[in-house]
Amino acid sequence: MLRPGKGWRWSGVALFFGLALGAYGAAQAAAPEFQVTPDAVEVGSFFEGAQVELQGAIPPGATAVVEVLGSTASEALLRKGRRGGLWMSVGEIRVHNAPSLYLVLSSSPQIPELTGQETPWGIAALQRKVKFGGRIEPGEQAKFFREFLELKKHEKVYGILPGGLKVSPAQGGKSAIRGIIPLPAKVPVGKYQVKLSVIQDGRLLSSQEKVLEVKLVSFPAMLRDLAQQQGALYGVLAVIIAIATGFLMGFLFKGKTGH
Amino acid sequence: MWNLYLPVAGTSLNIVLLFGLGGAVGFLSGLFGVGGGFLMTPLLLMVGIPSTVAAASDSNQIVAASTSGTYAHWRMGNVDFKMGFLLLIGGVLGGTLGVQIIKVLRAMGNADFVIKITYVLMLGIVGIYMFLESLQALRKKGVMEAKRMEPGQPSIYVRLIQALPWQMRFEKSGVTFSVLLPLILGILVGILAAIMGVGGGFIMVPVMVYMLRMPMHVVVGTSLFQILFTCINVTVMQSITNHNVDLVLAVILLVGSTLGAQIGAKLSRRLHADQLKILLASIVLLVMVQILVSLILTPAQLLAYKGGH
Repeated sequence: MLRPGKGWRWSGVALFFGLALGAYGAAQAAAPEFQVTPDAVEVGSFFEGAQVELQGAIPPGATAVVEVLGSTASEALLRKGRRGGLWMSVGEIRVHNAPSLYLVLSSSPQIPELTGQETPWGIAALQRKVKFGGRIEPGEQAKFFREFLELKKHEKVYGILPGGLKVSPAQGGKSAIRGIIPLPAKVPVGKYQVKLSVIQDGRLLSSQEKVLEVKLVSFPAMLRDLAQQQGALYGVLAVIIAIATGFLMGFLFKGKTGH
Repeated sequence: MWNLYLPVAGTSLNIVLLFGLGGAVGFLSGLFGVGGGFLMTPLLLMVGIPSTVAAASDSNQIVAASTSGTYAHWRMGNVDFKMGFLLLIGGVLGGTLGVQIIKVLRAMGNADFVIKITYVLMLGIVGIYMFLESLQALRKKGVMEAKRMEPGQPSIYVRLIQALPWQMRFEKSGVTFSVLLPLILGILVGILAAIMGVGGGFIMVPVMVYMLRMPMHVVVGTSLFQILFTCINVTVMQSITNHNVDLVLAVILLVGSTLGAQIGAKLSRRLHADQLKILLASIVLLVMVQILVSLILTPAQLLAYKGGH
Protein backbone atom coordinates (compact mmCIF):
# COMPACT_ATOMS: atom_id res chain seq x y z
CA MET A 1 0.00 0.00 0.00
CA LEU A 2 1.30 3.40 -0.94
CA ARG A 3 1.60 6.03 1.68
CA PRO A 4 0.27 9.45 0.63
CA GLY A 5 3.80 10.95 0.75
CA LYS A 6 5.18 8.42 -1.66
CA GLY A 7 2.23 9.00 -4.00
CA TRP A 8 3.02 12.68 -4.09
CA ARG A 9 6.59 11.91 -4.87
CA TRP A 10 5.62 9.70 -7.84
CA SER A 11 3.30 12.29 -9.25
CA GLY A 12 6.13 14.78 -8.89
CA VAL A 13 8.38 12.57 -11.01
CA ALA A 14 5.58 12.16 -13.55
CA LEU A 15 5.08 15.90 -13.60
CA PHE A 16 8.80 16.45 -14.15
CA PHE A 17 8.91 14.03 -17.11
CA GLY A 18 5.72 15.52 -18.49
CA LEU A 19 7.24 19.01 -18.40
CA ALA A 20 10.50 17.73 -19.86
CA LEU A 21 8.67 16.04 -22.70
CA GLY A 22 6.63 19.15 -23.31
CA ALA A 23 9.76 21.29 -23.39
CA TYR A 24 11.39 18.79 -25.79
CA GLY A 25 8.32 18.97 -28.05
CA ALA A 26 8.45 22.77 -28.02
CA ALA A 27 12.15 22.70 -28.95
CA GLN A 28 11.35 20.36 -31.84
CA ALA A 29 8.70 22.74 -33.09
CA ALA A 30 11.18 25.64 -32.95
CA ALA A 31 13.92 23.77 -34.84
CA PRO A 32 13.29 23.80 -38.57
CA GLU A 33 12.25 20.50 -40.04
CA PHE A 34 13.77 19.30 -43.28
CA GLN A 35 14.69 16.22 -45.26
CA VAL A 36 17.16 15.52 -48.02
CA THR A 37 16.19 12.83 -50.52
CA PRO A 38 18.04 10.71 -51.16
CA ASP A 39 20.24 10.98 -48.08
CA ALA A 40 22.81 8.70 -49.71
CA VAL A 41 23.96 9.22 -53.30
CA GLU A 42 25.41 6.15 -54.97
CA VAL A 43 28.05 6.61 -57.65
CA GLY A 44 27.86 3.72 -60.11
CA SER A 45 29.27 3.08 -63.57
CA PHE A 46 27.19 5.83 -65.14
CA PHE A 47 27.16 8.99 -63.07
CA GLU A 48 26.70 12.56 -64.19
CA GLY A 49 26.35 14.18 -60.82
CA ALA A 50 23.16 14.10 -58.76
CA GLN A 51 20.29 16.37 -57.84
CA VAL A 52 19.46 15.97 -54.18
CA GLU A 53 16.07 17.32 -53.20
CA LEU A 54 15.69 19.29 -50.02
CA GLN A 55 12.28 19.90 -48.41
CA GLY A 56 11.44 21.58 -45.16
CA ALA A 57 9.27 24.00 -43.24
CA ILE A 58 10.19 27.33 -41.67
CA PRO A 59 8.16 29.95 -39.79
CA PRO A 60 6.29 32.37 -42.08
CA GLY A 61 8.26 35.48 -42.96
CA ALA A 62 11.59 33.86 -42.10
CA THR A 63 14.50 33.31 -44.50
CA ALA A 64 16.22 29.97 -44.95
CA VAL A 65 19.90 29.31 -45.73
CA VAL A 66 21.20 25.85 -46.55
CA GLU A 67 24.92 25.06 -46.50
CA VAL A 68 26.37 21.84 -47.90
CA LEU A 69 29.86 21.24 -46.52
CA GLY A 70 32.42 18.58 -47.40
CA SER A 71 35.21 17.48 -45.10
CA THR A 72 38.18 19.83 -44.83
CA ALA A 73 41.69 18.93 -45.90
CA SER A 74 44.93 20.58 -46.95
CA GLU A 75 45.93 20.66 -50.59
CA ALA A 76 48.91 22.01 -52.49
CA LEU A 77 48.27 24.09 -55.60
CA LEU A 78 50.70 25.54 -58.10
CA ARG A 79 51.03 29.25 -58.28
CA LYS A 80 51.56 30.76 -61.71
CA GLY A 81 53.81 33.69 -62.32
CA ARG A 82 56.22 35.19 -64.81
CA ARG A 83 59.77 33.98 -65.32
CA GLY A 84 61.76 35.62 -68.09
CA GLY A 85 58.53 37.06 -69.45
CA LEU A 86 56.87 33.65 -69.70
CA TRP A 87 54.00 32.33 -67.58
CA MET A 88 54.67 29.18 -65.63
CA SER A 89 54.42 27.60 -62.19
CA VAL A 90 56.62 29.55 -59.79
CA GLY A 91 55.89 27.75 -56.55
CA GLU A 92 53.45 25.93 -54.35
CA ILE A 93 50.65 27.42 -52.31
CA ARG A 94 49.20 25.23 -49.60
CA VAL A 95 45.54 25.67 -48.81
CA HIS A 96 44.40 24.60 -45.36
CA ASN A 97 40.96 24.09 -43.89
CA ALA A 98 39.04 24.38 -47.16
CA PRO A 99 35.99 22.10 -47.51
CA SER A 100 36.03 19.62 -50.41
CA LEU A 101 32.57 20.90 -51.40
CA TYR A 102 30.80 24.10 -50.43
CA LEU A 103 27.34 25.04 -51.63
CA VAL A 104 25.10 27.74 -50.18
CA LEU A 105 21.43 28.10 -51.09
CA SER A 106 19.02 30.70 -49.77
CA SER A 107 15.33 31.44 -50.03
CA SER A 108 16.09 35.16 -50.50
CA PRO A 109 17.41 36.78 -53.70
CA GLN A 110 20.67 37.48 -51.83
CA ILE A 111 22.46 35.30 -49.31
CA PRO A 112 21.17 36.79 -46.02
CA GLU A 113 23.54 38.34 -43.48
CA LEU A 114 23.15 38.47 -39.72
CA THR A 115 23.11 41.90 -38.10
CA GLY A 116 25.42 42.65 -35.21
CA GLN A 117 27.45 39.45 -35.54
CA GLU A 118 29.56 37.55 -38.05
CA THR A 119 27.51 35.61 -40.55
CA PRO A 120 28.63 31.96 -40.29
CA TRP A 121 27.89 31.14 -43.95
CA GLY A 122 28.77 32.51 -47.37
CA ILE A 123 31.96 33.71 -49.04
CA ALA A 124 33.18 35.94 -46.20
CA ALA A 125 32.78 33.11 -43.68
CA LEU A 126 34.66 30.76 -46.00
CA GLN A 127 37.42 33.33 -46.40
CA ARG A 128 37.84 33.56 -42.62
CA LYS A 129 38.16 29.79 -42.42
CA VAL A 130 40.52 29.05 -45.33
CA LYS A 131 44.23 29.65 -44.65
CA PHE A 132 47.08 29.85 -47.13
CA GLY A 133 50.71 28.85 -46.69
CA GLY A 134 53.79 28.28 -48.84
CA ARG A 135 54.89 30.75 -51.50
CA ILE A 136 52.50 33.56 -50.73
CA GLU A 137 53.13 37.09 -49.49
CA PRO A 138 51.05 38.42 -46.56
CA GLY A 139 49.35 40.96 -48.84
CA GLU A 140 48.27 38.36 -51.37
CA GLN A 141 45.86 36.36 -49.19
CA ALA A 142 42.71 38.04 -50.54
CA LYS A 143 43.85 37.81 -54.16
CA PHE A 144 44.62 34.11 -53.91
CA PHE A 145 41.40 33.42 -52.02
CA ARG A 146 39.57 34.84 -55.06
CA GLU A 147 41.70 32.70 -57.39
CA PHE A 148 41.01 29.64 -55.24
CA LEU A 149 37.29 30.37 -55.27
CA GLU A 150 37.30 30.72 -59.06
CA LEU A 151 39.13 27.41 -59.46
CA LYS A 152 36.60 25.60 -57.27
CA LYS A 153 33.58 27.32 -58.81
CA HIS A 154 34.88 26.34 -62.24
CA GLU A 155 34.82 22.71 -61.11
CA LYS A 156 31.33 23.25 -59.67
CA VAL A 157 32.42 22.01 -56.23
CA TYR A 158 31.87 25.49 -54.79
CA GLY A 159 28.67 27.32 -55.54
CA ILE A 160 26.71 30.26 -54.18
CA LEU A 161 23.05 29.89 -55.14
CA PRO A 162 20.91 32.75 -53.80
CA GLY A 163 17.25 32.05 -54.51
CA GLY A 164 18.04 28.33 -54.73
CA LEU A 165 15.29 27.62 -52.22
CA LYS A 166 11.64 28.20 -53.20
CA VAL A 167 9.14 29.23 -50.54
CA SER A 168 5.44 28.40 -50.63
CA PRO A 169 2.66 28.57 -47.99
CA ALA A 170 2.07 25.33 -46.14
CA GLN A 171 -0.45 24.03 -43.58
CA GLY A 172 -0.13 24.94 -39.93
CA GLY A 173 0.69 28.56 -40.80
CA LYS A 174 4.23 27.61 -41.86
CA SER A 175 6.18 28.20 -45.07
CA ALA A 176 7.39 25.23 -47.05
CA ILE A 177 10.86 25.39 -48.62
CA ARG A 178 12.07 23.31 -51.51
CA GLY A 179 15.39 23.28 -53.31
CA ILE A 180 17.76 21.19 -55.36
CA ILE A 181 21.32 20.59 -54.18
CA PRO A 182 23.35 20.18 -57.39
CA LEU A 183 26.14 17.67 -56.77
CA PRO A 184 28.60 17.80 -59.70
CA ALA A 185 30.11 14.72 -61.38
CA LYS A 186 33.38 15.65 -59.63
CA VAL A 187 31.83 15.40 -56.15
CA PRO A 188 34.37 13.67 -53.88
CA VAL A 189 33.20 10.54 -52.10
CA GLY A 190 32.44 11.12 -48.43
CA LYS A 191 29.99 12.44 -45.86
CA TYR A 192 28.53 15.90 -46.27
CA GLN A 193 26.98 18.13 -43.67
CA VAL A 194 23.72 19.77 -44.79
CA LYS A 195 22.86 22.65 -42.45
CA LEU A 196 19.62 24.60 -42.53
CA SER A 197 19.55 27.94 -40.72
CA VAL A 198 16.47 30.07 -40.24
CA ILE A 199 16.85 33.85 -40.02
CA GLN A 200 14.35 36.53 -39.13
CA ASP A 201 15.11 40.24 -38.93
CA GLY A 202 18.84 39.62 -39.13
CA ARG A 203 18.73 37.19 -36.21
CA LEU A 204 19.44 33.48 -36.29
CA LEU A 205 16.26 31.74 -35.07
CA SER A 206 17.39 28.14 -35.23
CA SER A 207 19.39 25.67 -37.22
CA GLN A 208 19.52 21.95 -37.85
CA GLU A 209 21.90 19.54 -39.56
CA LYS A 210 21.54 16.40 -41.63
CA VAL A 211 24.13 14.09 -43.15
CA LEU A 212 24.30 13.43 -46.87
CA GLU A 213 26.54 10.61 -47.99
CA VAL A 214 28.16 10.11 -51.38
CA LYS A 215 29.58 6.63 -51.89
CA LEU A 216 30.99 4.53 -54.68
CA VAL A 217 29.09 1.33 -55.40
CA SER A 218 29.40 -1.71 -57.68
CA PHE A 219 32.09 -1.64 -60.39
CA PRO A 220 33.69 1.77 -59.70
CA ALA A 221 33.99 0.90 -55.99
CA MET A 222 35.64 -2.41 -56.80
CA LEU A 223 38.05 -0.84 -59.26
CA ARG A 224 39.08 2.00 -56.97
CA ASP A 225 39.67 -0.42 -54.08
CA LEU A 226 41.82 -2.58 -56.34
CA ALA A 227 43.80 0.46 -57.55
CA GLN A 228 44.39 1.66 -53.99
CA GLN A 229 45.09 -1.64 -52.27
CA GLN A 230 46.64 -3.87 -54.94
CA GLY A 231 48.68 -1.42 -57.03
CA ALA A 232 50.99 -4.01 -58.60
CA LEU A 233 48.17 -6.40 -59.52
CA TYR A 234 46.13 -3.49 -60.89
CA GLY A 235 49.07 -2.26 -63.01
CA VAL A 236 49.77 -5.71 -64.46
CA LEU A 237 46.06 -6.17 -65.14
CA ALA A 238 45.95 -2.81 -66.94
CA VAL A 239 48.94 -3.79 -69.10
CA ILE A 240 47.46 -7.22 -69.93
CA ILE A 241 44.12 -5.67 -70.95
CA ALA A 242 45.94 -3.13 -73.12
CA ILE A 243 48.16 -5.70 -74.87
CA ALA A 244 45.24 -8.11 -75.38
CA THR A 245 43.09 -5.37 -76.92
CA GLY A 246 45.99 -4.25 -79.11
CA PHE A 247 46.53 -7.77 -80.44
CA LEU A 248 42.81 -8.44 -80.83
CA MET A 249 42.44 -5.30 -82.91
CA GLY A 250 45.46 -6.41 -84.96
CA PHE A 251 43.87 -9.80 -85.64
CA LEU A 252 40.53 -8.27 -86.57
CA PHE A 253 42.20 -6.01 -89.10
CA LYS A 254 44.34 -8.82 -90.45
CA GLY A 255 41.17 -10.73 -91.27
CA LYS A 256 39.77 -7.77 -93.13
CA THR A 257 42.85 -7.17 -95.28
CA GLY A 258 42.76 -10.81 -96.40
CA HIS A 259 39.84 -10.02 -98.70
CA MET B 1 23.51 7.62 -69.80
CA TRP B 2 26.51 8.34 -72.04
CA ASN B 3 28.49 9.75 -69.15
CA LEU B 4 30.76 7.09 -67.81
CA TYR B 5 32.15 7.45 -64.28
CA LEU B 6 35.94 7.22 -64.06
CA PRO B 7 36.61 5.87 -60.55
CA VAL B 8 40.26 6.89 -60.19
CA ALA B 9 39.90 10.26 -61.92
CA GLY B 10 36.80 10.84 -59.75
CA THR B 11 34.74 12.47 -62.46
CA SER B 12 32.56 11.40 -65.36
CA LEU B 13 32.96 11.99 -69.07
CA ASN B 14 31.07 11.34 -72.27
CA ILE B 15 31.98 7.92 -73.64
CA VAL B 16 31.74 9.03 -77.29
CA LEU B 17 34.09 11.96 -76.69
CA LEU B 18 36.69 9.68 -75.07
CA PHE B 19 36.37 7.13 -77.84
CA GLY B 20 36.87 9.88 -80.44
CA LEU B 21 39.93 11.26 -78.63
CA GLY B 22 41.44 7.78 -78.50
CA GLY B 23 40.72 7.18 -82.17
CA ALA B 24 42.28 10.44 -83.34
CA VAL B 25 45.46 10.06 -81.29
CA GLY B 26 45.77 6.34 -82.15
CA PHE B 27 45.52 7.22 -85.83
CA LEU B 28 48.47 9.60 -85.54
CA SER B 29 50.35 7.01 -83.51
CA GLY B 30 50.00 4.32 -86.18
CA LEU B 31 50.80 6.83 -88.90
CA PHE B 32 53.97 8.33 -87.45
CA GLY B 33 55.18 5.87 -84.83
CA VAL B 34 54.81 8.32 -81.97
CA GLY B 35 53.06 7.37 -78.74
CA GLY B 36 50.92 10.48 -78.94
CA GLY B 37 51.43 11.33 -75.27
CA PHE B 38 52.35 14.88 -76.19
CA LEU B 39 48.88 15.25 -77.74
CA MET B 40 46.67 13.07 -75.53
CA THR B 41 47.70 14.32 -72.09
CA PRO B 42 46.90 18.01 -72.86
CA LEU B 43 43.60 16.95 -74.46
CA LEU B 44 42.63 14.98 -71.35
CA LEU B 45 43.49 17.96 -69.16
CA MET B 46 41.23 20.12 -71.31
CA VAL B 47 38.25 17.83 -70.73
CA GLY B 48 38.76 17.93 -66.95
CA ILE B 49 40.85 14.87 -65.99
CA PRO B 50 43.32 15.58 -63.14
CA SER B 51 46.79 15.88 -64.67
CA THR B 52 48.46 13.02 -62.79
CA VAL B 53 45.65 10.64 -63.73
CA ALA B 54 45.72 11.88 -67.34
CA ALA B 55 49.43 11.15 -67.79
CA ALA B 56 49.32 7.75 -66.06
CA SER B 57 46.17 6.50 -67.82
CA ASP B 58 47.52 7.76 -71.12
CA SER B 59 50.62 5.58 -70.81
CA ASN B 60 48.34 2.59 -70.23
CA GLN B 61 46.42 3.52 -73.35
CA ILE B 62 49.66 3.84 -75.35
CA VAL B 63 50.53 0.23 -74.40
CA ALA B 64 47.48 -0.89 -76.37
CA ALA B 65 47.95 1.49 -79.30
CA SER B 66 51.63 0.59 -79.67
CA THR B 67 50.90 -3.15 -79.36
CA SER B 68 48.38 -2.80 -82.14
CA GLY B 69 50.72 -0.59 -84.19
CA THR B 70 53.84 -2.73 -83.59
CA TYR B 71 51.89 -5.83 -84.56
CA ALA B 72 50.63 -4.22 -87.77
CA HIS B 73 54.11 -2.97 -88.70
CA TRP B 74 55.76 -6.26 -87.77
CA ARG B 75 53.47 -8.08 -90.22
CA MET B 76 54.62 -5.67 -92.90
CA GLY B 77 58.27 -6.34 -91.95
CA ASN B 78 58.86 -2.88 -90.55
CA VAL B 79 60.30 -3.57 -87.10
CA ASP B 80 64.06 -3.63 -86.52
CA PHE B 81 64.13 -5.54 -83.22
CA LYS B 82 67.92 -5.35 -82.83
CA MET B 83 67.91 -1.57 -83.17
CA GLY B 84 64.78 -1.30 -81.00
CA PHE B 85 66.40 -3.19 -78.10
CA LEU B 86 69.55 -1.08 -78.19
CA LEU B 87 67.55 2.17 -78.22
CA LEU B 88 65.36 0.81 -75.44
CA ILE B 89 68.32 0.02 -73.19
CA GLY B 90 69.71 3.50 -73.84
CA GLY B 91 66.26 5.02 -73.25
CA VAL B 92 65.84 3.33 -69.86
CA LEU B 93 69.31 4.46 -68.74
CA GLY B 94 68.66 7.99 -69.99
CA GLY B 95 65.22 8.09 -68.37
CA THR B 96 66.67 7.16 -64.98
CA LEU B 97 69.30 9.86 -65.39
CA GLY B 98 66.69 12.42 -66.49
CA VAL B 99 64.56 11.79 -63.40
CA GLN B 100 67.60 12.55 -61.23
CA ILE B 101 68.30 15.74 -63.21
CA ILE B 102 64.71 16.87 -62.61
CA LYS B 103 65.13 16.21 -58.88
CA VAL B 104 68.23 18.42 -58.77
CA LEU B 105 66.46 21.15 -60.77
CA ARG B 106 63.44 21.03 -58.44
CA ALA B 107 65.73 21.42 -55.45
CA MET B 108 67.28 24.43 -57.19
CA GLY B 109 63.79 25.82 -57.76
CA ASN B 110 63.72 26.34 -61.52
CA ALA B 111 62.56 22.95 -62.79
CA ASP B 112 59.45 24.30 -64.43
CA PHE B 113 61.38 26.89 -66.41
CA VAL B 114 63.82 24.26 -67.72
CA ILE B 115 60.96 21.87 -68.57
CA LYS B 116 58.98 24.48 -70.50
CA ILE B 117 61.97 25.81 -72.39
CA THR B 118 63.20 22.28 -73.23
CA TYR B 119 59.73 21.46 -74.49
CA VAL B 120 59.41 24.50 -76.74
CA LEU B 121 62.98 24.23 -78.03
CA MET B 122 62.79 20.50 -78.77
CA LEU B 123 59.43 20.73 -80.49
CA GLY B 124 60.59 23.81 -82.40
CA ILE B 125 63.94 22.41 -83.55
CA VAL B 126 62.55 18.98 -84.45
CA GLY B 127 59.48 20.45 -86.17
CA ILE B 128 61.28 23.09 -88.20
CA TYR B 129 64.16 20.83 -89.23
CA MET B 130 61.87 18.00 -90.29
CA PHE B 131 59.50 20.37 -92.05
CA LEU B 132 62.20 22.11 -94.08
CA GLU B 133 64.03 18.91 -94.92
CA SER B 134 60.88 17.15 -96.12
CA LEU B 135 59.74 20.19 -98.07
CA GLN B 136 63.09 20.30 -99.86
CA ALA B 137 62.91 16.58 -100.53
CA LEU B 138 59.37 16.80 -101.90
CA ARG B 139 60.43 19.55 -104.34
CA LYS B 140 63.32 17.61 -105.84
CA LYS B 141 62.18 14.12 -105.10
CA GLY B 142 64.08 12.28 -107.81
CA VAL B 143 67.43 13.83 -106.98
CA MET B 144 67.07 13.19 -103.24
CA GLU B 145 66.05 9.58 -103.74
CA ALA B 146 69.16 8.93 -105.83
CA LYS B 147 71.35 10.79 -103.35
CA ARG B 148 70.19 8.69 -100.44
CA MET B 149 71.22 5.51 -102.17
CA GLU B 150 74.81 6.77 -102.36
CA PRO B 151 77.02 6.72 -99.29
CA GLY B 152 77.33 10.52 -99.51
CA GLN B 153 80.40 12.59 -98.67
CA PRO B 154 81.79 11.64 -95.27
CA SER B 155 80.85 14.51 -92.95
CA ILE B 156 82.38 14.91 -89.50
CA TYR B 157 79.37 13.08 -88.03
CA VAL B 158 79.79 10.13 -90.43
CA ARG B 159 83.54 9.93 -89.81
CA LEU B 160 82.92 10.06 -86.08
CA ILE B 161 80.40 7.23 -86.04
CA GLN B 162 82.59 5.14 -88.33
CA ALA B 163 85.45 5.52 -85.86
CA LEU B 164 83.41 4.05 -82.99
CA PRO B 165 84.19 0.42 -82.03
CA TRP B 166 81.86 -2.60 -82.28
CA GLN B 167 80.43 -2.01 -85.74
CA MET B 168 77.27 -3.99 -86.37
CA ARG B 169 75.04 -4.61 -89.37
CA PHE B 170 71.32 -3.80 -88.92
CA GLU B 171 69.68 -5.83 -91.70
CA LYS B 172 66.14 -4.47 -91.40
CA SER B 173 67.26 -0.86 -91.46
CA GLY B 174 70.00 -1.48 -94.02
CA VAL B 175 72.64 0.39 -92.00
CA THR B 176 75.95 -0.52 -90.40
CA PHE B 177 77.47 1.28 -87.43
CA SER B 178 78.70 0.91 -83.90
CA VAL B 179 76.46 -0.63 -81.22
CA LEU B 180 77.34 2.43 -79.13
CA LEU B 181 75.51 4.85 -81.43
CA PRO B 182 71.91 3.72 -80.78
CA LEU B 183 72.80 3.30 -77.10
CA ILE B 184 74.11 6.86 -76.78
CA LEU B 185 71.24 8.36 -78.79
CA GLY B 186 68.79 6.30 -76.72
CA ILE B 187 70.28 7.76 -73.53
CA LEU B 188 70.01 11.32 -74.87
CA VAL B 189 66.37 10.87 -75.91
CA GLY B 190 65.64 9.17 -72.57
CA ILE B 191 67.02 12.16 -70.65
CA LEU B 192 64.97 14.65 -72.66
CA ALA B 193 61.82 12.52 -72.45
CA ALA B 194 62.11 12.24 -68.68
CA ILE B 195 62.64 15.97 -68.31
CA MET B 196 59.59 16.71 -70.45
CA GLY B 197 57.52 13.90 -68.96
CA VAL B 198 56.69 12.36 -72.34
CA GLY B 199 57.39 9.03 -74.04
CA GLY B 200 59.81 10.70 -76.42
CA GLY B 201 58.46 9.25 -79.68
CA PHE B 202 58.46 12.60 -81.39
CA ILE B 203 62.19 13.04 -80.64
CA MET B 204 63.10 9.39 -81.26
CA VAL B 205 61.55 9.34 -84.74
CA PRO B 206 63.67 12.23 -86.11
CA VAL B 207 66.74 10.78 -84.35
CA MET B 208 66.23 7.47 -86.17
CA VAL B 209 65.59 9.19 -89.48
CA TYR B 210 68.39 11.74 -89.43
CA MET B 211 71.05 10.38 -87.10
CA LEU B 212 70.63 6.64 -87.57
CA ARG B 213 69.70 7.06 -91.26
CA MET B 214 66.94 4.44 -91.06
CA PRO B 215 64.19 4.21 -93.71
CA MET B 216 61.00 5.99 -92.53
CA HIS B 217 58.80 2.87 -92.57
CA VAL B 218 61.18 0.89 -90.38
CA VAL B 219 61.50 3.93 -88.12
CA VAL B 220 57.76 3.97 -87.41
CA GLY B 221 57.56 0.24 -86.60
CA THR B 222 60.72 0.26 -84.49
CA SER B 223 59.71 3.38 -82.59
CA LEU B 224 56.34 1.84 -81.70
CA PHE B 225 58.06 -1.34 -80.52
CA GLN B 226 60.26 0.67 -78.19
CA ILE B 227 57.41 2.88 -76.94
CA LEU B 228 55.45 -0.27 -76.04
CA PHE B 229 58.06 -1.30 -73.48
CA THR B 230 58.57 2.17 -72.09
CA CYS B 231 54.84 2.55 -71.45
CA ILE B 232 54.41 -0.92 -69.90
CA ASN B 233 57.06 0.13 -67.39
CA VAL B 234 55.39 3.50 -66.72
CA THR B 235 51.91 1.96 -66.29
CA VAL B 236 53.06 -0.58 -63.72
CA MET B 237 55.25 1.95 -61.86
CA GLN B 238 52.44 4.52 -61.72
CA SER B 239 49.97 1.88 -60.46
CA ILE B 240 52.32 0.82 -57.69
CA THR B 241 53.58 4.19 -56.48
CA ASN B 242 50.86 6.74 -57.27
CA HIS B 243 47.68 4.65 -57.82
CA ASN B 244 46.58 7.00 -60.57
CA VAL B 245 45.93 4.79 -63.60
CA ASP B 246 42.20 4.99 -64.38
CA LEU B 247 41.40 1.68 -66.03
CA VAL B 248 37.93 2.76 -67.19
CA LEU B 249 39.39 5.85 -68.87
CA ALA B 250 42.27 3.85 -70.37
CA VAL B 251 40.02 1.09 -71.74
CA ILE B 252 37.70 3.53 -73.57
CA LEU B 253 40.70 5.42 -74.96
CA LEU B 254 42.52 2.28 -75.99
CA VAL B 255 39.58 0.76 -77.84
CA GLY B 256 39.51 3.97 -79.87
CA SER B 257 43.27 4.25 -80.23
CA THR B 258 43.92 0.63 -81.29
CA LEU B 259 41.31 1.05 -84.00
CA GLY B 260 42.86 4.36 -85.03
CA ALA B 261 46.38 2.87 -84.95
CA GLN B 262 45.42 0.18 -87.45
CA ILE B 263 43.99 2.70 -89.87
CA GLY B 264 47.04 4.93 -89.34
CA ALA B 265 49.46 2.06 -90.00
CA LYS B 266 47.64 1.24 -93.27
CA LEU B 267 47.73 4.82 -94.42
CA SER B 268 51.42 5.16 -93.52
CA ARG B 269 52.13 2.49 -96.14
CA ARG B 270 50.33 4.49 -98.81
CA LEU B 271 51.92 7.84 -98.06
CA HIS B 272 55.37 8.84 -99.22
CA ALA B 273 58.01 9.08 -96.48
CA ASP B 274 58.44 12.82 -97.02
CA GLN B 275 54.70 13.39 -96.85
CA LEU B 276 54.67 11.53 -93.54
CA LYS B 277 57.53 13.61 -92.21
CA ILE B 278 56.00 16.90 -93.25
CA LEU B 279 52.69 15.97 -91.59
CA LEU B 280 54.40 14.98 -88.34
CA ALA B 281 56.48 18.17 -88.49
CA SER B 282 53.30 20.26 -88.86
CA ILE B 283 51.66 18.63 -85.84
CA VAL B 284 54.81 19.03 -83.74
CA LEU B 285 55.00 22.72 -84.72
CA LEU B 286 51.29 23.24 -83.91
CA VAL B 287 51.79 21.81 -80.43
CA MET B 288 54.90 23.99 -80.00
CA VAL B 289 52.98 27.14 -80.97
CA GLN B 290 50.14 26.21 -78.62
CA ILE B 291 52.57 25.81 -75.70
CA LEU B 292 54.36 29.02 -76.62
CA VAL B 293 51.07 30.93 -76.69
CA SER B 294 50.11 29.53 -73.27
CA LEU B 295 53.47 30.73 -71.95
CA ILE B 296 53.02 34.25 -73.30
CA LEU B 297 49.33 34.94 -72.65
CA THR B 298 48.25 35.78 -69.12
CA PRO B 299 46.52 32.66 -67.76
CA ALA B 300 42.84 32.87 -66.82
CA GLN B 301 43.62 31.40 -63.42
CA LEU B 302 46.70 31.93 -61.31
CA LEU B 303 46.26 28.73 -59.34
CA ALA B 304 46.41 25.25 -60.80
CA TYR B 305 46.38 21.67 -59.61
CA LYS B 306 49.67 19.84 -59.33
CA GLY B 307 51.00 17.19 -61.64
CA GLY B 308 51.82 17.11 -65.31
CA HIS B 309 53.44 20.16 -66.78
